[in-house]
Parts: sequence; structure tokens; C-alpha cells
Amino acid sequence: MKRVNLARLTILTLICVLLAGCWDYIEIETLEFVFGLGVDRVTPEYIVILEMVKTSGGGQHAQVEPKVLSTSSGSVSSGGAALSNVAGLRAFWPHAYVFLMSEQVAREGILDAVEYIARSRQVRGTVWVFVTKDCTVEEVFKSKPPVANSVSEHLNAISLMQENISGFIPLQVWELNQDLTKEGISPVLPTIRLVHERGELVPVVEGTAVLKGDRMVGWLDGHESDILCLLKGVFERGFFVINTEVGEHGRFPITYEIVGNQVDIKPLVKDGRPAAAIKLTMQFGVEEVGRAPINFRDMQQTDSVEAQLATHFKDRIRELLHKVQVEFNADVLGIGQLFRRKQPEAWRHFGSDWDVYFPDLPVELEVRCQVVLTGLSSAPLRVRD
Amino acid sequence: MFFWKHTKKGEPQPRGLDDISPSLRTNLHWLKEDIFVHDQAIAYRGFKTSDPHPRECVLIYADNMVKHEYLSQFVLRPMMRSSLPKHLRGEELAHYAAERILESDGAEFITRYSEIGDKLMDGVGVILIDGCPVAVVVDAQGWAKRAVTEPPSESVVRGPRQGFSEDLGVNISLVRLRLSSPNFKTRFLHVGTQSKTRVAILYLDNVTSMELVEEVERRIKAIDIDAVLDSGYIQELIQDSPYSPFPTIGQTERPDVVAAKVLEGRVAVLVDGSPFALTMPYLLVEAFQANEDYYNHWITATFHRLVRYISFFVTTATPAIYIALISYHPQLIPTNLVISISAARKNVPFPGIVEVIAMGLVFEILREGGVRLPRPIGQAISIVGAIVLGDAAVSASLVSAPMIIVVGLTGVAGFVVPSLNDLAVLIRLSLVLLAAALGLYGFVFGVIAFLLLLSSMESFGVPYLSTMTTLVPQDLKDTVVRVPWWQMVLRPRYLASKDRQRLQGQAGRTDR
Repeated sequence: MKRVNLARLTILTLICVLLAGCWDYIEIETLEFVFGLGVDRVTPEYIVILEMVKTSGGGQHAQVEPKVLSTSSGSVSSGGAALSNVAGLRAFWPHAYVFLMSEQVAREGILDAVEYIARSRQVRGTVWVFVTKDCTVEEVFKSKPPVANSVSEHLNAISLMQENISGFIPLQVWELNQDLTKEGISPVLPTIRLVHERGELVPVVEGTAVLKGDRMVGWLDGHESDILCLLKGVFERGFFVINTEVGEHGRFPITYEIVGNQVDIKPLVKDGRPAAAIKLTMQFGVEEVGRAPINFRDMQQTDSVEAQLATHFKDRIRELLHKVQVEFNADVLGIGQLFRRKQPEAWRHFGSDWDVYFPDLPVELEVRCQVVLTGLSSAPLRVRD
Repeated sequence: MFFWKHTKKGEPQPRGLDDISPSLRTNLHWLKEDIFVHDQAIAYRGFKTSDPHPRECVLIYADNMVKHEYLSQFVLRPMMRSSLPKHLRGEELAHYAAERILESDGAEFITRYSEIGDKLMDGVGVILIDGCPVAVVVDAQGWAKRAVTEPPSESVVRGPRQGFSEDLGVNISLVRLRLSSPNFKTRFLHVGTQSKTRVAILYLDNVTSMELVEEVERRIKAIDIDAVLDSGYIQELIQDSPYSPFPTIGQTERPDVVAAKVLEGRVAVLVDGSPFALTMPYLLVEAFQANEDYYNHWITATFHRLVRYISFFVTTATPAIYIALISYHPQLIPTNLVISISAARKNVPFPGIVEVIAMGLVFEILREGGVRLPRPIGQAISIVGAIVLGDAAVSASLVSAPMIIVVGLTGVAGFVVPSLNDLAVLIRLSLVLLAAALGLYGFVFGVIAFLLLLSSMESFGVPYLSTMTTLVPQDLKDTVVRVPWWQMVLRPRYLASKDRQRLQGQAGRTDR
């Protein structure tokens, strides 16, 4: 009996040990931690750029500094492997923050580059994806963020703060994968450009690259991206400076803060053709009035402001819709996806020709703006002689 | 006089069986030449009772085991000043002396040589009177005793400061003082063919299950060993699961703890010569209970108990988890931390597992070195340990700084649960080896193995994990939490107590 038990125990232990999957003993100091991965393209080869951290010192004087390595290669993974060779250390991906693609890669189709990231079991799905605008990936990685230690950490910090910054829609790899593989939605990626800041180039995240399928078709600037944020319902906080007419006193720039934003997109079928109804309700706070002689305790004035805001945003949304519908023919709002979900019958009918229907899809737009926070704790400042 | 006049040339009579002879000379001969031969520590003080009928007597005692002034004042002086009536014969002499002359409170009569041998070692005086085949034993114990002081192994901030000493009688009295009821019972046994050590079994008649008492007694009686020098002998000889490193018999130096355990229906065993009392059955929860828990506010007590559980986990698991993370799963460490660990480990020549084991060993060496050293030298050890082995090793890149933190944390946390500290070292080492071989997977394996071991153990018929694996409120009241006293209505169920009711009156029974 004892012998049988021992045999069972041995077999169980062996099964547990041997069939547990593959992993390996590594020494942590032999790893080169990859913070950022970038792909650029010089046909026919890809240029793979890694931002790594160089740790040195040991003992009590450990130092950490970012290091950018690049190589050209036939594919992303082989480039990464080649860079391990250059660094003399094994590239370790799970701590990567960002994945950057140049405009050319995006225009030729991001699938080649993203596929490795999605497939790799080392790179996490939470990596932020960006497209660089008017600069190469290597230039971005070699720029100097003013506070953060490395560019990747800088971009990570910006992405996490999106709700307070606005101007772009951050996207992680797993979200991009979903958008790419879904029907009736075109992915949008945040863009990075470089600005001069006291003699140094600083990466700034602003604007959006619009994709059609996996190919980039055009840019949206920061303001357009804000409107896109509103329509996608990802806006948390954002400031808008709008020239507002105050009674007979003329126009004054007033800063409003968005404090709430509900968007409702309804796919419709009208006269046998697809259409959409967008209903946007926004709540505003008044952030800064400046010299404007406005009195928010006067309901008439408030009503006038709300009407002006609604008109302003309606116009801007129309402009954006025109751009994505006519210029790009890219369904960035995922109206097709909504059709598929809510009106599957109609989608079966239109789905295959969505590219044809989308550019002149009639959109009913209803925008409601409410000023809910007047920021009034006392009467506004008035300078008297 | 009449008896030995007939012997040839005053030669001692044959010893016979074991009985004490009426002849003083014979007795002395056999004692000196046979029973206590070559033992120079036995004193024979010969004297005579006073006139008109002086009779030869001898007072025998073991040197330094008796109070000498006591023997001189209350035994020798009265004996020498009084006279034994002439008509007394044989045993009457001894009885007369005990009843009318000796001023000692304890007096016994013995008739065998072997008893003299046994008794003398307990520190008594034995009086042999010529012509009397009975020896009188007078109590005069007077060896050096340690005072009742605070036990060094279990000091408290709040609570009684008395601790057991090496004297069994004193120790029993310390417990009896706390449980002054006729239900408190003491049974005595003698263990050890050579040492004849007195062992006392303590229990409460109206609470403790008699089966438990009988079982304890049976196990102790079954011990066949030459000597018992500490209660540790008995602990190891009678405990369940002897091959498991987990203790199944509790030990304490404090009478208040013994009283509390006995009140819960446990049995305590005190061993002469050892300040450590044994309590049984012993469950795993008890390792995390401290007597101060019951003297302090129940909320703070509960918090401290929680700290003890966490510390035990920390001390056993930290190095293993550290090794698993840095060697197998660096992706699970937060990015900033992984970078700084990596930077700290640059230039360190040894792999993580070697570092962990070496530093753990160094810690144990320092501890072992410090334990048995006099205080002043012990401090030198800690200075050497802290500065030379800690700081210098890091500066010289022999060890990485995070490793020092891990080892330090492990070591300090180990002292929080002192009763399991020695054991924690073994658990830690086995988990480290498993983690080094298989990563977190191996670590989890090890934890499961220990849980299996624990759940297979029992102590005196009580499952070792009792009260930790139940959801009955009255069983859980004294495990991770220490509920207020007014809610500890019942005594622990698992001890099968006769009388479970602990609180009477306003609290009443609150559960089944």
C-alpha cells in the first residue's frame, strides 16, 4: 500500500512539474527592459527602434538612463532579436509602455507591425499605440521630455492623464486589435509630433490618425480630435474658449469647461437607406469670463449662451462629419458597428456596401448644451473708475 | 546493645534482603560500603541522646541538599538534649523520637535501604537509632533555588511577571494560586530510572475530559528513559506526529498561561527541574495567541494577532516570493521596482538563489551566535552583523541591497511568532528551494504541501487545525480575532470539556 502511494505521489509530482508549461530561470540583471518599441519603414525593410533602460552602478549607487537602439530588419520580431545582440542583453518586453509607428508604416498598413505585438506573449495588451507625425520614430525616442526619465514614460504619463489634457484619444493595443477586427468601425490612433521647447525637441501627443481598414487615410488636428472625443463619449474634462455674444456688448472670449457629456447615436433606416441620429447633451461649467459683462443669474443671458454653445458645437460636428465621411470615408464613430448590433437585418442588407453608403449617410444632429456650473461664489470682478 | 553483643567480634550482620537492621553498625556498614560506596557527599553525623540512657544515633544527609541550620536546630539539638526511655524497643524508638522529640514538620518512617537511597537524594535527613529497624526521615530540603522572576522567554508589558523556576513544588503553587478551587487536581509520577524526576499532571476535575488526563498519564508512564533533565524530553517522547516539525505540545514558562490553558480544558505537565510547563493538546492557533492578548483591549489584541499571522507569512514566504519573482516572473514586478532591483543586482556575482540562501545562513549564524552569548558580547555580534555583513557586503557588491531588505524583513518578522521561529527557518528554506526550481508555481506547491501536512496532524486526538477551518462563531472567537471577554461564553468545543459554560449570568449562551 505504501509503495503504491509513493508511486502515485511521484507520478503526480512529475506531472505537475513537467507539464506545467515552459518557463526558464533567468537572472534579472541579464535582462534589458524595453520601455518603448517603434517601427519605421525604409522600403523594403523595417527599422525597429527600441527604447531601453540602461541600469548601471550596482551596490548603492544604481543609475538608470534611457538608451535608444535601432536596426533595420525584414520584420519586427527579427529586428527585436537583432537588437538583443546589439545590446548584449536579452530584450525583456513585458514592461513596455508604448508602441510607435511612423506615418509611412501607418499609410502602408499597420497590420504587419501590429501583428507581432498582438501575437507576442511577452508584450502586454496594455501598450499604448501612437503614430508619429512629421517626424521619424527614432527622432521621437531621441527627444528630451522635460520631466520624465524616458520618452516612453513621458508618453505613458500623458496617456494616463488624457482626461485632463484632451486633444487625442489614447488607445491600447488590445483596443486597437478589437477595432481592427470589427466590422463597421475604423480605428483612430493618437499622433505624436515634436515641438521645440527651449532648444530641445519635446514629444507632444495631439491629434488623431484616421485609419481605414489597417491603412491610414488622414489626420485630424487637436480641435477636431476634441470633437471626436465628444462624439465617442471619451471626454472627461476639457476646456473650450468660445467667442460668446453677450447682449448688445459684443463678443467676448469665454472659457467653458465640459463637466458632463452624454452621446447617443442611433442607426436608422430612412426610405430604404441607412441614416443616423446623433444626440449630444453636454453640461458646461463656466471657467473664466474675463471682461465679458455677463450675468449668469439672468436666465435670458444663460439661455442665449446655451443656444450659442449648441450652434457652435453643431457646426464643428458637421465639419468633422464632413471630413470623415467625404474626405476619408472612414467610419470613426462606428456607426456601421451600431447598425450591425442594433439593426442586424438592415446591416445584412447594407453591410457589404457600407463604404458606398457611408460618405453620404444622412445624420440628424441634436445638440443640447446646459450651463450647470456658473462658477459664481460672488459677483464677478468689475473694475470701477 | 543486647542485639549486637552476640555477634562475633562486632562484625556487621549480613545485610539480608533490603530491610534496615536494628544494628546501627550494620546499617552504617551497608550504607557506606554498598549503597553509597565512594560517595563522599553523604554526611554521617553520629551523636548520642542525653543521659540517663544515651543511645547512639546517626543523622545521614546529602551535603548541600539540606538546610544545615535547620537540621542542627530542630533535629540534632532536641535529639541530643532529650533521652529515650529505656523500655522502648525497636520501632517504638523511632515513633517516640518523631512524636516527642523531633521539631520537624515532616517525619516519615522507612524500613528499607533502597528507600534511604531515594529519599536522601530529595534533600532530607535520615536518622538511624541504634536498636531500631526503622529510619526516621525529616524534611530539610535546602538546595539553591532560583527566585520567581519574570521569564526571559516570554516577557510581557501588561500582565503578571511571575515565571516558573526549576522547583516543581514552587511551580505547582504558582498555578494553584491562580486556580484556588478544590477542582484543581495534581497527579504525580516519577520518570527516569536514574533521575527519578517528579512529574506533575495538572487539570481541572470539573472541566477537563478524564480520557485526556488518562491518556497523558498513560503516555508518561510508558516512558522508559534513564533521566529527564528538562520537560523537552517528555515533550518529544509523548507528542503526536513526532516527525513533523510543527509542535503538537505547547510549552510555556508562565503560570498564568498554564492556568488559562487548564481553564480551557487542557492538561498541563510540570517537570521537576524545568521551568517550562507543557500543555496539551496544542493546536496551531495557539502559536499565534499571546497571553497579553487576553489582558489588553480586545481590538488592539485582535490587531496584534493579525500582525502575527501576517508576520508568519512574511517570514516564511518573502524570500521564496522574491526569488520566484526575480528569477521567473520579472513581468509581475512593478516597472520601477524591477528596474531598481535590476540596477541593484548589476555587478553582484551570485545568482539570486545563492544570495538568498547565503544571506539566510548568515542571519542564522548571527542569531545562533548571539543566543547563547553573554549580553555584552551578544551586542558585538549584532554590530558586526549589521555593519560588516550588511552595509559592507552591499558596498562591495557581494550582495544586492534588496536582498538585505528581504533577509532583514524575514528575520525581524520571524521574532513576532517566537514559538514557530525555529520552524519558520525550515519552511522558508524549503519554499525558497521550490521557488528557485519552479517559480511561483513551486512556491504554491510548497504551501499546499505544508497545508496537507498540517491538516493531517493531530494532537491528543484533536485535529491540529481545529478552529481555523470552521465557520462556527464560538470556535472562531479566539483565532484570528480575539473577541471581547463577554462573548467568550463557551470553552473550546474541540477539547471535549465536561463543562463548556464559561460565562454565567448576563452574557448567557449566544449560540448553539
